[in-house]
Amino acid sequence: MSVDKTGILQALNPSDYFTLAMDEEIRNENMAGSLCGFALELDSCPNIALLEARINELKQRFPIILASLQQRGNRFYWCQREKEEPIFFQTTCPENTDVEFFIKNQLETLINQQQSREDIAPLSFHLITTETNCVFLLRWLHPLCDAVGANLILQYLCTDEVEKRLAFDTPASEPLLPLRLRKFNLWKKIKLFMKAKRYIQGLDEQKSIIHAADKAPEKLRLASYRLSVAQTAKINKIARKQVGLTGASLYYIGCFMRALERMNPEQEGEAYCVPYAFNLRKQKALTPLLGNHVGALFAQAPRNLLANREQLFAHLKQQNMNVIRQQLDYAFLPVMWAASYLPLKKHGENLRLSYKHKTERSSFWFSHVSLPELAKQSICDAEITGFLHLCQVSSPPAIALLSCEYQQQLTLSYNYVEPLFSREWVERLHELMVQELLDEVVEPVAFS
Amino acid sequence: MKPQLREFIFEELIFVAEADSFSDDDNLLEAGLDSMGIMRLIMFIEEEFKVSLPDDEIDPDNVESFNALEKWITQHKS
Repeated sequence: MSVDKTGILQALNPSDYFTLAMDEEIRNENMAGSLCGFALELDSCPNIALLEARINELKQRFPIILASLQQRGNRFYWCQREKEEPIFFQTTCPENTDVEFFIKNQLETLINQQQSREDIAPLSFHLITTETNCVFLLRWLHPLCDAVGANLILQYLCTDEVEKRLAFDTPASEPLLPLRLRKFNLWKKIKLFMKAKRYIQGLDEQKSIIHAADKAPEKLRLASYRLSVAQTAKINKIARKQVGLTGASLYYIGCFMRALERMNPEQEGEAYCVPYAFNLRKQKALTPLLGNHVGALFAQAPRNLLANREQLFAHLKQQNMNVIRQQLDYAFLPVMWAASYLPLKKHGENLRLSYKHKTERSSFWFSHVSLPELAKQSICDAEITGFLHLCQVSSPPAIALLSCEYQQQLTLSYNYVEPLFSREWVERLHELMVQELLDEVVEPVAFS
Repeated sequence: MKPQLREFIFEELIFVAEADSFSDDDNLLEAGLDSMGIMRLIMFIEEEFKVSLPDDEIDPDNVESFNALEKWITQHKS
């Protein structure tokens, strides 16, 4: 079948397809698709003219950010629009309005914006101004870029020197998944593919514990909490002791598993299973800016390990070491490549459903978001005081925890779907999470 | 030993604008070597230099620079 090539700017990369499949899954739940957001809290209003100029420069260098994502034949492409749509928006909080409520409401409205995949701007910027402070939201559709790419875009906007901005995406790199795969011969690829398949089959032996209520999803909600400098320092110290150099992410994941378990130890299932992404770019590289360049892995812990923190973290640490030792990180790359040729529905099912139980594999989504490396902690003359993170999530699991540390303070952004979870439930969950992170659990604790 | 380590780290793990000016004492962790990178590096070292590095010695002191890595690997070479 010949494909109409009119207006095609670029074909979707193989590793963009798994985010596209999740976009389809979320849209099929009558939600907004795989929209994500980084929200910068600012102490004042940035220099708007300067910010607009930077955004315009970005548009000229990367025209795909203005494109429309369209299906042509069996494949998807970034296509030029007939008319350029605006991607920078400003909203002002009316007088005598609760500022905190207004900002949260605006963020939730923007992340829940329902627009077709073809029509929605894959990248947009939203400045929410109030009398006291501002919030600058970068919102993107996941097939356009991954979180590291979104960070690079923010870093670009925050970079004052022209020559330093020119260094972004220079030299332009081809997609990293096929580039990495080319290093393996055919037999190695097949071996890795089979290894990944066995790994997933192993995970699927245990039915995942899912806490979301069995209800139709309606709206994504955000609950964000910033911990103090002292709390953050204590958490980092404990994390280092518990999981060593394998990274704080495993500590957060383990604590969140325990907090969820304490919310309802009777919830059906045998193990917590959590997908997480790892970056294929070299650390500190400014390229590639757009596209998804990540692999996928899972952290899994059977329920019987949750009662004992030491055992749980030792298990998660050992699991992580085994993953690298067995090259399971690279094993998923041929799977991701092959899956990009599946119909979206089948791809989505493979990503989400346990082969054995035919139920959702993920207990929750998690990401520890590294922040952009900024020469100054500011954007266009406004000081950045904090970060919030947003992401649409499929239902179930209907809950995602996004963590980041900025200026020695840990921020936990819970993104959850109503009415599968309620605000009160998430507030209680956060209280338990903080107890877990600080290792201040008051015994006895109910574990099944 | 160091040339192989440099090649692997700069080719696979960290982007450094001028690798030649990165000294053997410069801090690899500050340069971007993260947890996943450390694990990959250890796998590379074990295969390339035929050593076994104990998990409980995976510590910043042993991986923070090329000199520290060389010292650590040498300790385990028979």
